[in-house]
Amino acid sequence: MRKISKLTRFRRAALLIAAALLAASFTFAADAAPEVQLNTSKAAPRAMESLTERAILRDYKFAWYNLGLAMESNSTAPLNALFVGSANKWLHDAVDSQRRNGLSSRYLNQTHKVDAVFYSPEGDVLELHDTAGYDLKVLDGSKMIHNEHVTVYYVVLMTPGADRWVVRDIQAVPQF
Amino acid sequence: MSWLINTALKIRSWGRVAFCALAALCLGAVAFAQLGELRPPTNAVAGNSASIAIEGGGNATFYLIGPGSTMKREIKLGQDVTLQPQETQAAGRYLAIVCADTCLSSYFFVAPGKPASIAFLVHPSRAPVGQNSIISGVAMPFDEFQNLILSPANVSFELAADGKSLGSHETPTHFGAAWFRSSSGRTAGTLQLTATINGVSMRRVVQQVASEPCNLRIKGQRNAKGVLVETDPVRDCAGNPVPDGTIVTFTAKDGDDTDTVDAPVKKGVARAQMIANGAVVISAASGVVMGNELHIAGGQ
Repeated sequence: MRKISKLTRFRRAALLIAAALLAASFTFAADAAPEVQLNTSKAAPRAMESLTERAILRDYKFAWYNLGLAMESNSTAPLNALFVGSANKWLHDAVDSQRRNGLSSRYLNQTHKVDAVFYSPEGDVLELHDTAGYDLKVLDGSKMIHNEHVTVYYVVLMTPGADRWVVRDIQAVPQF
Repeated sequence: MSWLINTALKIRSWGRVAFCALAALCLGAVAFAQLGELRPPTNAVAGNSASIAIEGGGNATFYLIGPGSTMKREIKLGQDVTLQPQETQAAGRYLAIVCADTCLSSYFFVAPGKPASIAFLVHPSRAPVGQNSIISGVAMPFDEFQNLILSPANVSFELAADGKSLGSHETPTHFGAAWFRSSSGRTAGTLQLTATINGVSMRRVVQQVASEPCNLRIKGQRNAKGVLVETDPVRDCAGNPVPDGTIVTFTAKDGDDTDTVDAPVKKGVARAQMIANGAVVISAASGVVMGNELHIAGGQ
């Protein structure tokens, strides 16, 4: 009888731990997911179709999520298939040099207010202006060397890939 | 009496605390003084060397976190940190951090260099002649390190065919992009499009092909199998021969019987063998164009 009671307690504890871990993972996912607002009313000369708008929103958000993951884990794997051209090269170089120097960066609590400002006549190039806000933490090993909330203005070029929109160029500018 | 002694002891211990706090503050002030102001470059350009002035004295660690590179270097405070051209190739925001006992940071921007190449996208690769606003192009200037040049620059779009200029159009880039639309010409052949920015050019070619057939005319003669019918050379309304493979549909009506043949244009002409014994009416169509009707009597 006493043994059964111990077993039940153990099961309950295990369940509680599992629930806590699950809740923690959901909280992490909610914190890590960038918040993106896309405004396509200024897109010209071609107006953006609503399906395209949804795809851009999904793929841009995913690109930033993976950019954060790559910079935090010092792995280039999350960048694959989301970034191409010079954006891909710069980000790979950034991750590689971070790893060589024993640094890592975190892009936390991301918010992106994105305006589509140029959408080519044939729909093969899209330029976005992203007013991004995030908590930037830079670590040298485990020592935090920089921690601030920043607002950065990005000019982004996206092009359609085989099954998604990919980031071809991403450049921070002083202002739009 | 004991109260007096206790108060004296308290004052003494408070004095020690105050002394320690003062000493700590002084040490802190000395440490802070070692790491002075951080002055980043104000007009850095991609691929050019730049320097960052860091005031103070002693040793420190310098970090540079840029869009395409991260650097960590031991430095002596009070000396400028020189950034090599290869360390500033990516345009964008750079964060400079110096750490001694504490860390100081500042950021600066690296601007793209001069135009070195143009991304020139032109659509379509084949365009029918005589169509309004069917050709479009987008030009984006990049520097030698593939940074998009965002400062306004005039792009000259030129159209030429057979070595003859058909016109040019100049438009400024807006946030790195300039675009145009154009109608296709009247004659089939290659159309060269050139985008030029500050002496840097990029050329693309559009193949102008004949438009839809126009004035379809047919002729035919009876043979042992029925009627052999063929078109005159099939041309568009501007007189350009339509490309081989263009389908012409021949229809023969023999009383209640109808025979239909889809024939591709070969060397400008479409031919079909129609099965018909009696009097027959043959017509032809291609795209939206109907040709003439051919009346052939039975056994003729």
